[in-house]
Amino acid sequence: MTFNPLEQRGIPLDRQLRNWREMNVQPIDPDRGDPYTRCRIITMNGIEVEAILFSHQLVRNTVDPEVKRQLARTRYIEAQQQKVVNWLLPGVSSVLETTIAYEQVAVDLTAWVARMEPDPYLRQAYQFGVLEDFDHLYRYANLYEMIEHRKAESIVDNLTEVMPGRPTKFHHRDPYDNVREPYDKNEANPLSKLHALTIMSAEQQTMNFYMNTGPTYMEPIARQLYQEIGLIEEEHVTHYESLVDPGETWWEQLVNHEYNECYLYYSFMEQERDPKVKAIWELHLNMELEHLHTACDMMRRYDGREPQEVLAPELPKVLAFEPNKQYLRGLLDTQMDLTTLGAGYVREAHERFEKMQEQIHGGEEPPSERVMAEHDDMFGREYRVQSEGEHPDPAMREK
Amino acid sequence: MSEPRTPQARDDKAKGTDVVALLMRQHGDIRNLFDEVEQSKGKERRNAFHRLVRLLAVHETAEEEVVHPFVRRMVPGGEQVVKDRLAEEKAAKETLATLDKMDTDDPKFMPQLMKLRKDVQEHARAEERYEFIHIRRTTDATNLAAMAKAVKVAEAMAPTHPHPGVESLARNMALGPVAALMDRTKDAVRKAMGND
Repeated sequence: MTFNPLEQRGIPLDRQLRNWREMNVQPIDPDRGDPYTRCRIITMNGIEVEAILFSHQLVRNTVDPEVKRQLARTRYIEAQQQKVVNWLLPGVSSVLETTIAYEQVAVDLTAWVARMEPDPYLRQAYQFGVLEDFDHLYRYANLYEMIEHRKAESIVDNLTEVMPGRPTKFHHRDPYDNVREPYDKNEANPLSKLHALTIMSAEQQTMNFYMNTGPTYMEPIARQLYQEIGLIEEEHVTHYESLVDPGETWWEQLVNHEYNECYLYYSFMEQERDPKVKAIWELHLNMELEHLHTACDMMRRYDGREPQEVLAPELPKVLAFEPNKQYLRGLLDTQMDLTTLGAGYVREAHERFEKMQEQIHGGEEPPSERVMAEHDDMFGREYRVQSEGEHPDPAMREK
Repeated sequence: MSEPRTPQARDDKAKGTDVVALLMRQHGDIRNLFDEVEQSKGKERRNAFHRLVRLLAVHETAEEEVVHPFVRRMVPGGEQVVKDRLAEEKAAKETLATLDKMDTDDPKFMPQLMKLRKDVQEHARAEERYEFIHIRRTTDATNLAAMAKAVKVAEAMAPTHPHPGVESLARNMALGPVAALMDRTKDAVRKAMGND
């Protein structure tokens, strides 16, 4: 299907403001909806949050008050879009349930992007990261059974397996080793730019979510686990944001942001089965088309360049939420023992890694290990969902 | 590969010294039973539904006897918090009474059950967010443990495990109507709390 956002017009900006009635969306069913509908909501919330934060940073670096005003107008609409999207989540869900849904997003979104990424260095960055999110899902799932006596499969619905990935305690690396090399803006495939922006935004939202909701728990092990995984999200944002070429101008970045929003709303509109949610994706796509045109005009005016020079000639193949079980099993089989060294990857624990490990753990088991021990005390087993058979890594099979 | 069933709150090996943690786990047990009723058929569904009704009955009774009086007495503004919860409980009990008289194979059964599931879930979250937080804030470990003990006594009044076969169904029936179970639970809890 060919869909070129540059050739489409959407809803004029001065007709995009919604009143309270239009903002008051019906949340999805917390238990009986499609888990991937919830994944799309969480993803688009992260994308809109990034759009808002990026625009704020841009105006803080802008002198011209007229430009500030123009950005403020678009940003206000984006703030409404964020409210509408995130308010699709039901109030009855607990923070831990939403957390498990966030980790399902991290697993299946990152795995899909890794599968589709044309550049081998970038692909490796996604493959490396996804095994960590995969392990976070497993730790939170065990915490969930302890606190709420519920199984994570009631949330992820057997679309995603729940078992150990690269053990969380090994995710704590020296920050020096979390910085990757960026793609080259002039050489990179346009799809690669969209991927980097999407995963960076999703991880940033996860980081923000854990840093704010973690302390709402009263159970000591829950508070501590959110602290630990929250710090790994900081590492992940560092990892993914460093993939983006910092040589892109502010206006070029703005255009990439708006283009990516068009790409994702279009993708999710194509995939969505919940008619009410689909209508929101469609409406927001029609808004984003105008945001994109506004951004393109700014790029022409302030950069003196045509946006076509940096964008794809047409929208890439739609991004999809779907099970990635076999792909993930392949990674579990081959990439469990990787860590980073400088901008690359190694299999051996090196000196800087060992030192960081020693300092952060302080000679004790971290929360991600203690949660498993406490779960075992309570139930005499672990919680896993291994729908496709035993763990591919014999060392990770349940004892 | 299916995972083993999550045991109910009185069968897990949690230390069980905190009434709030215990009640939150029971909320999960109740949701698990709703799922079991929904996913089963015929005799199994009837059996699961019986266990659900009984767990709901003893859980709500224990909350009425242990948790609500505490909040009413100890928490500023607790009167209103409890009033709101009791209104929700009343609505849920009415649906429960209708369902209890119905055959689980009745075509009207599932829509009613789904309505009850939604009401109970909203009620449980409201308790966790607006009532339970006050309990942990206003009392000490000894009192939390004493209340937990009383709730466990109540929980022991409801059968937790499925009893396949006619025999157990008869046994479940023999436990009598929900109202009588609530009365017996009330007595047992009061005794445990030393109020009798």
